[in-house]
Amino acid sequence: MRLTEASVAIRPRSNWEAMDLGVLLARRHAGLLMASWALVTLPIFALLCLVFWDSPGIAMFVFWWLKPAYERLPLYILSNCLFGNTPTLKQALKAYPRLLKPQLLASLTWRRLSTTRSFDMPVMQLEGLSGTARSQRLAVLGHKNTGTATWLTVVGVHLEMALSLGLATLFYLMLPQQLELDWSWQSLIAPGQNDWMWLEHLSNGLYALLLIVWEPVYVACGFCLYLNRRTALEAWDIELVFRQLQQRLKGIAYALLLGAGLLFSQLPGTAMANPELKASSTSAELTSGPHLTPDPLGPHAERLQKQALSSQAAQQSITQLLDKPPFKNPETVTRWRLRDEADANKEEFTPDPDFLESLFSGLKTLGKLWESMETLARVFSVLLWAGLLALIAWVLWRYRDWLSTFTGRFGLPQRPHKLPPSQMFGLEVTPESLPDDICREVSQLWEHEPRAALSLLYRALLSRLLHDYKLALKSAHTESEVLQLVASLQQPSLEQFSSSLTLHWQNLAYGHRLPPATAKQSLCNSWRQLFEPGVEA
Amino acid sequence: MPHIENSPEHATSQTSAQPSAGLLDTRYQVETPEGIDLTLRPAGLVPRALAYSIDLIIRGVVMGLMYLLLGMLGKLGMGLGTILLFLVTWWYMVLFEVLNQGRSPGKQWMGLRVVHDDGTPVGWPASLTRNLLRFVDILPMGYTFGILSCLNSPTFKRLGDIAAGTLVVYREEKPQPPILPEAEAIRAPFALSLKEQRAILGFAERANGLSKERRIELAGIIAQQLQVPAEQAEHRLNGIAHSLVGPR
Repeated sequence: MRLTEASVAIRPRSNWEAMDLGVLLARRHAGLLMASWALVTLPIFALLCLVFWDSPGIAMFVFWWLKPAYERLPLYILSNCLFGNTPTLKQALKAYPRLLKPQLLASLTWRRLSTTRSFDMPVMQLEGLSGTARSQRLAVLGHKNTGTATWLTVVGVHLEMALSLGLATLFYLMLPQQLELDWSWQSLIAPGQNDWMWLEHLSNGLYALLLIVWEPVYVACGFCLYLNRRTALEAWDIELVFRQLQQRLKGIAYALLLGAGLLFSQLPGTAMANPELKASSTSAELTSGPHLTPDPLGPHAERLQKQALSSQAAQQSITQLLDKPPFKNPETVTRWRLRDEADANKEEFTPDPDFLESLFSGLKTLGKLWESMETLARVFSVLLWAGLLALIAWVLWRYRDWLSTFTGRFGLPQRPHKLPPSQMFGLEVTPESLPDDICREVSQLWEHEPRAALSLLYRALLSRLLHDYKLALKSAHTESEVLQLVASLQQPSLEQFSSSLTLHWQNLAYGHRLPPATAKQSLCNSWRQLFEPGVEA
Repeated sequence: MPHIENSPEHATSQTSAQPSAGLLDTRYQVETPEGIDLTLRPAGLVPRALAYSIDLIIRGVVMGLMYLLLGMLGKLGMGLGTILLFLVTWWYMVLFEVLNQGRSPGKQWMGLRVVHDDGTPVGWPASLTRNLLRFVDILPMGYTFGILSCLNSPTFKRLGDIAAGTLVVYREEKPQPPILPEAEAIRAPFALSLKEQRAILGFAERANGLSKERRIELAGIIAQQLQVPAEQAEHRLNGIAHSLVGPR
């Protein structure tokens, strides 16, 4: 047995965890374990079925009773797998008859109903103990593990039942519709009816099948419990690490002796500067008292002496760097603060008993002073508060108008008011920018400056639309968009006027085509009718 | 390539170069964003089955008692009993898991708890998922699918656990300060890796559980490297363990 070749992580675990490891172990070698188990048990099961064809119950019982005999094979496989030499299926089956010999009778008779079977089996099979030696060994190993092993068996029994029930149900669910038989429970339960014999054999067969899955796990769990107990008792994990440590240090010694790391260059951990290590180990032993002298191997010892940048120089530059920003940002802050009363008292205090009296009297006068100071302070505080209130009152009075408008505006929640644009197409459209009598102005301008006349009329229209009709015009609107908005007002006369004016305006502005002379009169008339009915009348 | 298999040096150098590769272990490592490895110990089928049985018994007892009480109330009692049945069936596990740090009474008894895959405490969605999907695990009868899934998963998950991304792990117990045999602290004469330091500490801590012969044998393995005769190796190792633990 070589621990360094173990295929599982060896360390002491709790008993439950050890069983979990067993599940993982069985899972890793599931193929081999299940195949070998099936090859051993299924022929035996078939044989038993043939022999006890008339009484399936007996066949089942005998098959179940022989379980410890089959279990020796998975244990053999697992114990070999543990240290890396996994047997092939053929080797395992060849070894099986040899495994059956020792203590088979005991296993199948008085030890058959032992609840700690899975845990006891390795002692018998792997350690080859029998008689009193075996029971003594079990007493040593058993200690706290028998409980867990028993629980394993108890859970195993229920698990077998649950799985067989599940498999039977699955089988029943998988029956095709056409085969739906008239299975009534009474006929199933009623004994002595040979018609249902095959059904019993079938359920036995299902049990044999589920054991293929479960038994390797059961054996592996027991085996791992045994392993865990031995790991704890014999500190296998510690032995493993010590052996590795020994190997490592031996490697260092060889490297020192040979002066060449060729052979072990692949080993990790030997690539360090070993000669220093070895040489200093003796000196460390001489000065075995810890922390008395600076340790030559310690973190504060000087290293890299023969290089351009020694460890000391590196440390210095690191410290310098760390003292500068951004690592350290020293800042001097100077400000006034009150001198504490307590501090003043402390300064006066001396342990001299004579001085104590004067101190007490001093304290008393200080207290009196403090009381008078307190009244003074109260007066001052009253004055200050009064001053503050007066100031606030004066401010309120001084700005009462401003405040009233301010609060008036904010008193009621108002809809966000959008200011109408003051310019559209680069034309001033505010009412203030327009002359009072638009028509007269237009008539005057028409002869000499038709462009100015039409532009005046057009921006007057826009201004009216904005301010009288409250049309939501934006400076981004085009002329035709303005027309569409006008159309939405549903005033035919306004719409007509707007469209003809816009047409003339566009012709003049973009096309440089003068409006016909008749347009002046009709436009002015329409304007008067629409916007200045009083003047017209 | 038979010539490689036949050369023992090559074989040893290979095994020692990768000592921990592919070792079977029950531990499950989770790395946090800070680069810290959390070690979880997923719990297998047997403790989980036992925890479930305990919960089942508790629920059975509670239901039985309540039915006895509610039976006296006639039809109203039957209605209340049905509501209670619903609550106990669907919410017993969820409420305990979310509000009691992932532990139903059965799990508490067995030292288990439910956590997310990344080791964080289990929340409402995950707990609801894993407990609602119990009904998939129960299929076709008697938790067959759950058992098979649990046996087949490397972290012992049943189908509900896989869907919810949860893990049933052993609770971490508070570690006890180690009790070391008396010895004067001595610094190790060679550099020790973390694993080796742990082994030496373990040797000192578990001294009571080991027989005297075994202790001498173990210490004897590295007596030569410690530069002491084999009889003093144990004492020397205890001293090194003291120096590793430090003054307390």
